[in-house]
Amino acid sequence: MAIQFERVSHQYVGMDQKGYLAIEDIRLNIRGDGELIALIGETGSGKSTLVQHMNALLQPTQGRMNIFGIKVDNLTKKRKDVKLTPIRKQVGLVFQFPEYQLFEETVEKDIMFGPKNFGASEEEAKEKAREIINVVGLDESYLSRSPFNLSGGEKKRASIAGILAMEPDVLILDEPTSGLDPLGRNALLEVFNRIHEELNKTVIIITHDMNTVYEYAKRVLVMREGTLVYDGDPLKLFSKKNIDRWNLDKPEVLALAQDIENKFDIHFDKPPRNKTMLKNALKEALK
Amino acid sequence: MKNIVIGRYIPGNSFLYSMDPRAKIITLLILMIGVFLLDSIVFMLVSIGLIALLLLAGRISIKRVYLGLRPLMFLLIFTFTFQILFNDQGDELYAASTHFSLLTVGLLFVLIVLWLKTKQYIRFKLLYFLLFVVMGFAVLINIDTGLVFATPTFSVHQEGVNMALFIMLRLIIIVTLSTILTITTKPTDLNLGLERVLKPLSLVKINAEEIAMIISIALRYIPTLLDEANKIMLAQASRGVDFNEGKMKDKVMQVVSLLVPMFIISFKRSDELANAMEARSFAPGQPRTKLHELFWHRLDTLALIMALGYFTFAVLTRVLT
Repeated sequence: MAIQFERVSHQYVGMDQKGYLAIEDIRLNIRGDGELIALIGETGSGKSTLVQHMNALLQPTQGRMNIFGIKVDNLTKKRKDVKLTPIRKQVGLVFQFPEYQLFEETVEKDIMFGPKNFGASEEEAKEKAREIINVVGLDESYLSRSPFNLSGGEKKRASIAGILAMEPDVLILDEPTSGLDPLGRNALLEVFNRIHEELNKTVIIITHDMNTVYEYAKRVLVMREGTLVYDGDPLKLFSKKNIDRWNLDKPEVLALAQDIENKFDIHFDKPPRNKTMLKNALKEALK
Repeated sequence: MKNIVIGRYIPGNSFLYSMDPRAKIITLLILMIGVFLLDSIVFMLVSIGLIALLLLAGRISIKRVYLGLRPLMFLLIFTFTFQILFNDQGDELYAASTHFSLLTVGLLFVLIVLWLKTKQYIRFKLLYFLLFVVMGFAVLINIDTGLVFATPTFSVHQEGVNMALFIMLRLIIIVTLSTILTITTKPTDLNLGLERVLKPLSLVKINAEEIAMIISIALRYIPTLLDEANKIMLAQASRGVDFNEGKMKDKVMQVVSLLVPMFIISFKRSDELANAMEARSFAPGQPRTKLHELFWHRLDTLALIMALGYFTFAVLTRVLT
């Protein structure tokens, strides 16, 4: 197990000393050998707090965690002999807004920042930046540009490149496709899928797009008011009758496929997960 | 950052809360000038007693005021020691020669190390620190064995003690008074009061409303920017920045990685805010109605009269002596 949550709760303490329980009694196991997990739930349901625990940016106020063999609980921060920084190399977290992260003069330097913090030499980091920039769908001319003159989507890609360059074992992305055009979004999702399939790494994506969840995720986590209400197969989740009580709706392809099954005398053996699969399945069925 | 007390409103219910902010600001100013005019320690102590009464009557906990004073502790101790050590006016009250030898310097070093190692386990850090200072002096004055290479005289003079006490008491009074104002007045009310108090400045072409607007926007954005700074720190920590550690060179980089996004985000925010204000037809200098009107009560007049009384008393002590 890469990341284990044992009854983890986190309470934020505000100015007025009153606590706010952001996540409550979470039990969760995340494998390190290639899962693609979607994390969904309405805004304010504790998704971001949950993922900030995964790389120990936040520590549980109750319960325990084990992240790649390092035990983390509410006392960890006070102990001097436990270093949390190495966890952040193994579990890379990309925040939702690239503005919080980009600060260097050039995109190249910004991508090099993470690897250099974890002990890579100047040349290694430079090499890495050159390699990664293509992966996120930008070309090498971007390396010498200022990160502040990029468009929203380009900033997003640059910030993702900054984390990918650290080569984390588990990659967590907080709404990575928000603010991207449809083509760019699909390309980026393919990148994450490739990282997951070819490099056998675990990728966790926070998203509000059910189509993304249904097409890519092997496992889905649903958060609701700070608790984890579902952990399992996406198809089973969307086949449930009353998913709208969690403010979720059915993915378009699944809804269409089920309509087709009901209206016509067609049965799909394997439910199609995207438009191309649906098309092929229909062709097969109508032959 | 969550423990900043100066400038924070704390909800409550007493006559201090129901006073008009204008009255509070003007009384505060008058009282402060009065305190600066006082030149006798006895009257200063009486003033502190009056403030204690005010706190009691206004139902403000002393602990809050102490928390407000705490950031100033260093300044207070520094000026106090400075005056005591280096002011050589007036009668000599106490003098002793100190002995710097290898032995005493070594002992001082031991004391400093002991203080650094043990201070984290002690609750009353200030008292503990003072204890160590006294011990240090005791060592320097009493142990004169070994090779003594310097014997500077340590002396305390009347004027030094006076000035030290004066400055300390004055600072305490002024900070306490301003803490009372900020604890009992909502930032918006304070701002509105300030706007009205500064209104006469329009005669010399200074627009009080604009100043008030600037202040209120600045106040409004303090929590937002703190929140933002926290998010940036988390984002950079995800990229391996350890804000608690690092060499000097790394520290500079850490601060840059925090400040640059902070600046960019603040500029963007102010730009957006300006647009939003313009979209709602905000025009500087135009007359506007207020959501909250201020009302001057009899209590406010009473407070003002009492403050003026104190002020007159202060002037009189000055003139008569």
